[in-house]
Amino acid sequence: MAHEKVNGCVILKDLYYNVDNNTWVRIIDDSTVAVGMTDVAQNLAGPLLHAKTKKVGTGRKLGKPIATVESGKYVGPVKSPVTGEITKINDALSSDAGLINKSPYNNGWIVEMKTDDLSADLATMVSGDDAVAAYKEKIERDNIQACEQIEGADTYD
Amino acid sequence: MMALDISQNKHADVSMDEKNRLFEEVKADERWSHVLYGCYECGICVAACPSARFYDFSPRLIAQAVSREDTDLIYTLMSDSIWDCSQCFSCDRCPRQNSPGQVITIMREVAVKNGLRTAKEALQGYGRIIYKIMLTGTQVSPDMLQPDAFPDWGTHVYEIAENLDDWRKALPPETLHTTETSWTIDDKTIIELYLIWHMTGVMDLISGVDEGLYDIIVDVMEERLEEAGYDDVTFD
Repeated sequence: MAHEKVNGCVILKDLYYNVDNNTWVRIIDDSTVAVGMTDVAQNLAGPLLHAKTKKVGTGRKLGKPIATVESGKYVGPVKSPVTGEITKINDALSSDAGLINKSPYNNGWIVEMKTDDLSADLATMVSGDDAVAAYKEKIERDNIQACEQIEGADTYD
Repeated sequence: MMALDISQNKHADVSMDEKNRLFEEVKADERWSHVLYGCYECGICVAACPSARFYDFSPRLIAQAVSREDTDLIYTLMSDSIWDCSQCFSCDRCPRQNSPGQVITIMREVAVKNGLRTAKEALQGYGRIIYKIMLTGTQVSPDMLQPDAFPDWGTHVYEIAENLDDWRKALPPETLHTTETSWTIDDKTIIELYLIWHMTGVMDLISGVDEGLYDIIVDVMEERLEEAGYDDVTFD
C-alpha cells in the first residue's frame, strides 16, 4: 500500500480524503465505504479517551457528525465525508478509543456507511498525490506539529 | 509572557462602525449602569488582580478604556485582554464601586454573541468543558487528568490517569465512583437541563463559536429528549 509521510504524518495514497474535515474513506464496494480519522486528525486530538459512534441505521449528511471523540482537553466531531446511512460501527472503539491513535487507517476505522451517491461524494475528496499535496499545504498553513509515528507506519508498503 | 499590543488601529481591517456597534451592544446590557462609575486611577484593582501578576493584563486599563469610550482600544481589548481575566472579581474592591470583572463579563458575552474570531480562538481549549457542562451539568470530569492535558499536576499524574477507576472507587460516596462525570447524574436532571438549554436559546451562543461542538451536543440532546418522550423538541 503506497504511502507518503508529510511532517511525520502518514498519508495512504489509495484512500480518499476530505482534507477540511480530516477524514478518510476506503471504498468497499460501489456504494459502501469505511470511514476514519486521518493520522493528522488523531495527532491533533491527542491520546483519545472516548470515541462514541452514532448508531447503526443513522442517516447522515456530508459534514454532520458520525462520532464524537474526546481526549484530555479536546472534544470534537468526526464529520461524515459522505451522505448516507451508517451500516456498521467499530465496536472495539467503545473500550479502546486509543486504537484510533495507534492505527487510524486500519484497526481504528470508525464506521461503515452505505452512501446515497458515492461518485458525488468522491468528487468532493482528494486521493493519491493530490491528497499528499493537499496535506502538505494544510500542515504548513495550520502549522500542524509533526505526527508521532503510528504503529506499523513503515510497513504500509 | 506575551506583551499586550495596544497600538492604535491595530485592527484596521474592522471598521469603526463595527467597533462602535459592538460597544453600543456592551452599553445596552442591563447590568451596564451598575458596573462602571468612573475611575480614580488608584490601581487597587490591579494590585488585587491575580491575572495581572501572570499576564500583561490590567483591569484598570479596561475600566479606563470603557470610561473614555475609546472604541478602537475597546475592540483591541475585546480581541485579546478580556480572555486573560480569571473572573474572580477581586477587582470589586474598587473604592468607586466599579467592577472591571463584570465589565469584562459583558464584553465576553458580546464577543461570543457576535462570533468574534478571537472569542472562538480563546474558547477553543475549553471545548471539552463546554461539552461536559452542556451534556451532564458537571464541569470538570476526573478523566481530564491526563499527562498530556495536565503536565503541571506532577509526575504522579501518570499513575492517577492509569488507575483512575480505582482511585475513584476508593472515595466513600458511591455517587463519586465516576470517571466521565464529576458525579452520578440522574436521568431526570439531565432531561430538565436539556429543556432549560432549549427554552433559553443558549445553544445559539455555542453555534456561533463552534459549529462542530454545537452539532455533537445537539445530536446527543435530541436523542435523549426523544427517548424521554419530547419528540417535538428540536434545536434547529
